[in-house]
Amino acid sequence: MEKNETREKHTIRNILAIRGVGQIATVTIGLLVLCLAFAILNPSFYSSRNVGNLLRQIAPILIIGIGQSYVLITGNIDLSIGSVVGMSCMISATLMTKGWNPWLSVVATLIICIGTGIGNGLLVATCKLPPFIATLGTMTVARGVAQIVNNNYNTDAIGEGAEGFRTFFYYGKMFGIFNTVWIAVVLFLLFNFLLSKTRTGRHIYAVGSNIDAARLSGVNVSFTTIKAYMVSAFCAGTVGLVTSATAGIGTMDSGNMYEMYAVAASVIGGVSTLGGQGLLLGTVVGAAIWGVLQNGLQFAGAPVAIRNIVIGIIVIFSVLLDVVLRTGRPRKSAKGAAHTEG
Amino acid sequence: MKKKAISVVLGMAMLAAAISGCSGTTAATTTAAATTKAAATTAAAATTKAGETTAAAGENKKIILITMDSTDQHWVNVDKGCQEEAAALGNITYKWMAPDKKDDAQQIERINNAIADGADAILIAANGPDAITGALEEAKAAGIVIVYVDSPANTEAVATFSTDNKAAGKTAGEQMLAALATAGVTKGSIGIVNINTATDSTNKREAGFREAFDGSAFTILETQYGEGDAAKSQDIADNYITDGVVGIFGCNEGATVGVGNAIKGAGGGIVGVGFDRSDAILSLIKDGSLVCTMVQNPSVMGSEGLKAAAAVLAGETLTETAVDTGVSIVNKANVDSLA
Repeated sequence: MEKNETREKHTIRNILAIRGVGQIATVTIGLLVLCLAFAILNPSFYSSRNVGNLLRQIAPILIIGIGQSYVLITGNIDLSIGSVVGMSCMISATLMTKGWNPWLSVVATLIICIGTGIGNGLLVATCKLPPFIATLGTMTVARGVAQIVNNNYNTDAIGEGAEGFRTFFYYGKMFGIFNTVWIAVVLFLLFNFLLSKTRTGRHIYAVGSNIDAARLSGVNVSFTTIKAYMVSAFCAGTVGLVTSATAGIGTMDSGNMYEMYAVAASVIGGVSTLGGQGLLLGTVVGAAIWGVLQNGLQFAGAPVAIRNIVIGIIVIFSVLLDVVLRTGRPRKSAKGAAHTEG
Repeated sequence: MKKKAISVVLGMAMLAAAISGCSGTTAATTTAAATTKAAATTAAAATTKAGETTAAAGENKKIILITMDSTDQHWVNVDKGCQEEAAALGNITYKWMAPDKKDDAQQIERINNAIADGADAILIAANGPDAITGALEEAKAAGIVIVYVDSPANTEAVATFSTDNKAAGKTAGEQMLAALATAGVTKGSIGIVNINTATDSTNKREAGFREAFDGSAFTILETQYGEGDAAKSQDIADNYITDGVVGIFGCNEGATVGVGNAIKGAGGGIVGVGFDRSDAILSLIKDGSLVCTMVQNPSVMGSEGLKAAAAVLAGETLTETAVDTGVSIVNKANVDSLA
């Protein structure tokens, strides 16, 4: 037991070493270049008003990115994120329009969302469904729930009683920075601690880098996978609350395509889609790049088709860069380990 | 390692394709959501040339309305328009056969029921273009007159009464121009928040809106797409405001709420014009964050549709078979009469 524990720790240390600051630093330089380019194209980009808004626009992408990173590190994927955002937005708003206390609605909504995450985890870990298919299913189901909770309509305004809720999740500021950003910061610190400093975190890496080795070393693979999906669903649920606070209504289309934003934020930041590798700090930079691109390209007046092409190329390029960086490193032993997982 | 690298790159290429391609898959739901939730009661400019003389007295005709569902205020207002017109014409037996939810099978069943019930004419709002076509062709074979209200199917009917989205978008543009003139703004840039590139109805609205600005001193910026998500639309509108726009147009309900909230957050000063009606939009008009919103006229669809059906049954020929039922403009002046 003692030996297994040590070996597990050893493997993880190796992974962390490969995926260290090098990758993140490279992407950060890319981020700075992007910011500089957008600032030159349109000075409004670096106005204090836009910097505040931009941070607030990045926050939800970071939150879902954290969730997706957890799942990706276990070697799985969560495609239901966007729909869970929509479901959370619609459930919370519907409950509030029906006169529920906003905070009670928040708790009820998050419980339902986490339930969806448990469902995803059970389908993948216990029923052994391919994660792509299982979460594609829950993606459709959750979107359906979002549509049905208010009989296929966006909700009415969530009302006067919900002002505190709206301030807490979107409109309020603390030390000059919007609350949404603080929420993202708190979740980042929490989940980064969980991932890098606790046994659960080590198990998540272990499951993703070599599932059989993890199982043999006594890791409860199913439970670990379920936990990762719970984190993902909780993050998506939180973003759903942000969107209902933002609009003051529930929109059935809320969160459309967010699962893709979350994948992009994670992979740009160096989280491997093959599992076992990645740091949440990278996800922060990835989310920032994604947010800066969305925001900056609007300021630059780029047509949507051009924007799609640019974003696609940047996603591909950043993964290519990651791969090139990694192959350039003399890490034969780690390479061998990485091969077995694919 | 090389194999792994290739697989990662391929995966990302798929992701990129999905990012650009995914917008198509959401089109169906967003179009449904774009249908206005409720309806304006104010009169519109729609006219039919035919049917102005009432059908010959004596012979009683049965006209049946089939909508997408029975609860939506939009359909309730179509029914109201039909009822009023039937009462005005006098020799019409009118009935509303509504499915209790939006469902193709239920709609087909209602068509079959209407045929069995001995309908002379059916007014129908097709759920989708294809699913009910067969049932409608059967009805036509039985000699029943078909009139489309709100949305047509892929089989010929005597007339269609629906909203011309391009004309409606142009009306929105004209409203914005008027509001800018009132505010003393003579030039500047204008933003548009749409759903995605695949939604036909809102693309037509956008095209009409742009047309209204042809030759003006205003610059219309690149359209932004909010996926029908009010929160995302609001981020986009925030960015437009930071960029110094003088006006923003929201193409559907979600976009309009986002635009209104962003203008409200910025403390006003920007002309916001929207599309569709909801409780949230009306309150944004009341507090002055939005200048106006375009709402469709379902009761006109009902009354004009029924009038046309009666005219055809009386042996007249319709001079206009594709009729725009127009939009009503809801602004601060008339919003209280609606809420």
